Amino acid sequence: MIKGKIIDHTSLIIMIFSYIIIWMLKTSFPEYSQMLTLLLYYIAIAQAYNIFLGMTGYVDFGYVSYFGLGLYGMALGVSYASQNNLSSSEAIILGMILSVILAGSVAGVVGGIALRLRGAFFAIATIGLSQALRYLIEGAKIWGGAEGIIIAKDLRKLFGEEGFSYATIILPDTGIFILAVATGIIMYLIRISRLGYGLLAIKEDEDAAKVFGVNTTLYKFVAFIISAVLTSLVGSMWTLKVTAIYPPESFNITFSVEFIVIVMLGGGGTVLGPLIGASIYSLSKYYLGVYLPGLQLTVFSIILLLIVLLFRQGIVGELRSFLYKHEIVRKIIR
Amino acid sequence: MHLLEVNNVTKRFGGITALKNVSLYIDSGEKIAIIGPNGSGKTTLFNVINGVYIPEDGRIIYMGRDITKLSAHERAKLGIARAFQITRPFPGLSVRENVMIGALFGTLSEKINTREALKIADEMLKLVGLYNKRDELAIKLTGPERKLLELARALAMKPKILLLDEIVAGMPPAKVDEIVDLVKNVAERENIAVGVMVEHVIRAVIRFAERVYVLDRGEIVLSGKVEDVMRNPKLREIYLGTRFKGGV
Amino acid sequence: MDPGLIIFLFLQGLVLGSIYGIVAVGLSLIFGIARIINLSHGALIMWGAYTALTFFVGYNLSPLGSLFIAIVVGLSLGASIFYLVLRRLIGAHELTTLLATFALSIFLEEIARLNYGLDYRGFSWSLGVVKIFDYRLTYSSILAGVIALSTVIILTLFLYKTRIGSALRGVAQDPVGAYICGIDVNKIYALGIGIGFGLAMMSGVIITMYNPTGINPYLGAPYLLKSFVIVVLGGLGSIIGAYVGGIIFGLAEVVLFPLYDYLHFHSPMSMTLFTEFVILLILLLIRPYGLFRR
Ligand SMILES: Nc1ncnc2c1ncn2[C@@H]1O[C@H](COP(=O)(O)OP(=O)(O)O)[C@@H](O)[C@H]1O
Ligand SMILES: [Mg+2]
Repeated sequence: MIKGKIIDHTSLIIMIFSYIIIWMLKTSFPEYSQMLTLLLYYIAIAQAYNIFLGMTGYVDFGYVSYFGLGLYGMALGVSYASQNNLSSSEAIILGMILSVILAGSVAGVVGGIALRLRGAFFAIATIGLSQALRYLIEGAKIWGGAEGIIIAKDLRKLFGEEGFSYATIILPDTGIFILAVATGIIMYLIRISRLGYGLLAIKEDEDAAKVFGVNTTLYKFVAFIISAVLTSLVGSMWTLKVTAIYPPESFNITFSVEFIVIVMLGGGGTVLGPLIGASIYSLSKYYLGVYLPGLQLTVFSIILLLIVLLFRQGIVGELRSFLYKHEIVRKIIR
Repeated sequence: MHLLEVNNVTKRFGGITALKNVSLYIDSGEKIAIIGPNGSGKTTLFNVINGVYIPEDGRIIYMGRDITKLSAHERAKLGIARAFQITRPFPGLSVRENVMIGALFGTLSEKINTREALKIADEMLKLVGLYNKRDELAIKLTGPERKLLELARALAMKPKILLLDEIVAGMPPAKVDEIVDLVKNVAERENIAVGVMVEHVIRAVIRFAERVYVLDRGEIVLSGKVEDVMRNPKLREIYLGTRFKGGV
Repeated sequence: MDPGLIIFLFLQGLVLGSIYGIVAVGLSLIFGIARIINLSHGALIMWGAYTALTFFVGYNLSPLGSLFIAIVVGLSLGASIFYLVLRRLIGAHELTTLLATFALSIFLEEIARLNYGLDYRGFSWSLGVVKIFDYRLTYSSILAGVIALSTVIILTLFLYKTRIGSALRGVAQDPVGAYICGIDVNKIYALGIGIGFGLAMMSGVIITMYNPTGINPYLGAPYLLKSFVIVVLGGLGSIIGAYVGGIIFGLAEVVLFPLYDYLHFHSPMSMTLFTEFVILLILLLIRPYGLFRR
């Protein structure tokens, strides 16, 4: 590192630069706009999940639940607003608040219970949670039960016919972009803070971390909540795009695995990992869908196996270990 | 008032009683040694003092406060630092980051930011002679270097009491002297009480300590001034009575 | 309440529980030996069911014959997967084996989907029914329960009475120690995972004996999810615990479902599943290492 300049922000600058490029591409090439939104969506979720999975090493297979609760929060907010003749901006704000409250409180309960478990037990507990939520909604017919919630009509009422594309494209796309930037910056700030060092210590050796003074219970909990809440906000924006949500999709474990794969692929705990992971993942998913329709999942499963076998620490993570001696690498890969 | 008091502590693992009614104390800035053959319970004693295990019986008083049931991280914040016998670096982090974590979560904890923690880390790394390895991943260090990293990380916590478990085991004599002097200097400068645990009775370490406790099969069998204990014939017995091969 | 119904539900619960038991035993065995949570267990069950279907429809082979085919195929598949993939992941972060077995699960499901399509398939294999008061239970489902029980007994005898069995248990307890004692640990892992895969595919066949309809590429998923609850109930890694857990679970299910129905819940099946997962969470909270341990 440069003398006198102790904290180096190279990785943050690269990250922000990448966001700007993606946004410029998105506005200049409308035909790729939706693909780039999908990319930003994956980046935002991967950065949010990175704060928990990447920093602590705890694998939450039920992570999709926080995204799902975000979906539900917005859907409930919008339908409530439309029934009670609130304004469109009130509807969106209400939806976001509900998303945060739902995800935050469920994450609080789960964090309090499951974070006491480690490894496989934690993974199983989180699977149990996402499934319990799904079947509760279906079985007790909460929030529309198995029929889900459809908000297209409500959005038309709130935003008007001519505002519908604003509500379902421009607004969520911008929201997702802002969230991608925000989650990235928050991840970076955590990474260079006391919280970040404490979390990394937990990931490396939880018992030793305790002995060196890290309040592991508190730190894991804080990371878990921040991560869940950020993901729920991405979910709340996604609702506006899909305009209809159903319990099986909202709590589908396959999505959790998708998020895990992206974080893993890039390299957990690194600032640029999610960006790289999300880019590779969403581009290959997009083009597999175009060129090998029907075979995406088969190819995905093989790629996933190869990643697990070849890149244990993710692409950025492997590079980091391999090239750590070089100052430039240490700067870029934080 | 003593800095740390261990009163009648008993710790069992299933059928094994690793510590039986152990009592000892250490004063502020004092240097003591705890010796005993392999398996006599030294590491367990440390684990009980710094909160890895909670004893079945007995109490641990630190600065006049009962900390028997306090969690490990709170004890660290109160100034109890530890270097592990089986070294436990955070392997995927750099040497510097390892030591920074000590500074960030030790007694200074909330009082310093990462910038200041980094300065402390560099100081400590210079002190133990690992400064030029600061940007290596900890996993790349050799065995003896890991021991030094343990020491630097513990010192970075700015502790009031430093527990060193077999810190010089397996090092050549010249290196042992060097580390003993180093610890002695820092401890005197910063008024840190030091407890060292050793299996083999290394003269240098015995000279370093003001008092010594001898642990055998979980019990304190001898204690007192170094010269007195060393002259006690019982000491030979303990070591000869075991598989211990070296001389006293 | 009608006493005939109670007896019938009890028997039905035992049969169902025995099937859940055999599913969970395979999962628990693989975890016990290799510390791997096999997320492809459900997909293997599904392939077992398709094996029964294919051989019944194509060669008129009864599911009893398919049992053996399923075991052999599962055993060889498990051993191959171990040598190809999992061997490199033993002792790594559990995330890697979870992802590897999840990838395998998607792969197996996709192959089934490409091969058989998404339609629900079935066949009719009947041995007649036994009347318990006014209620009917098929002989084939009773047979399914009995075969599951016998398999667990044979497996237990194998583990506790044979040399290979004790090598398996040795590796489960302490792989390093077993290695020092001269056991070829990799072979034992391969065998253990093979047996686990064989049991999974075999349970798929057994499931078709209980109910020969509704076979589709995603048939295994609910069984896998339920098995999580069951293995935690019985203590992850314990064979007998898993089977007993399965029985408890089966009995609970035949009570819960009618109960939620009686209480007029919108979807009693979903509520039953919900309750099961809540039980899982409570168990993990109070007894993470199983009901029967210490
Ligand atoms: N976690 C543990 N579980 C079971 N037994 C233990 C554990 N830790 C230590 N012991 C036992 O306690 C005794 C003392 O061990 P230890 O404190 O490591 O001795 P020393 O450090 O003096 O070599 C030994 O018999 C050891 O086997
Ligand atoms: Mg020791």
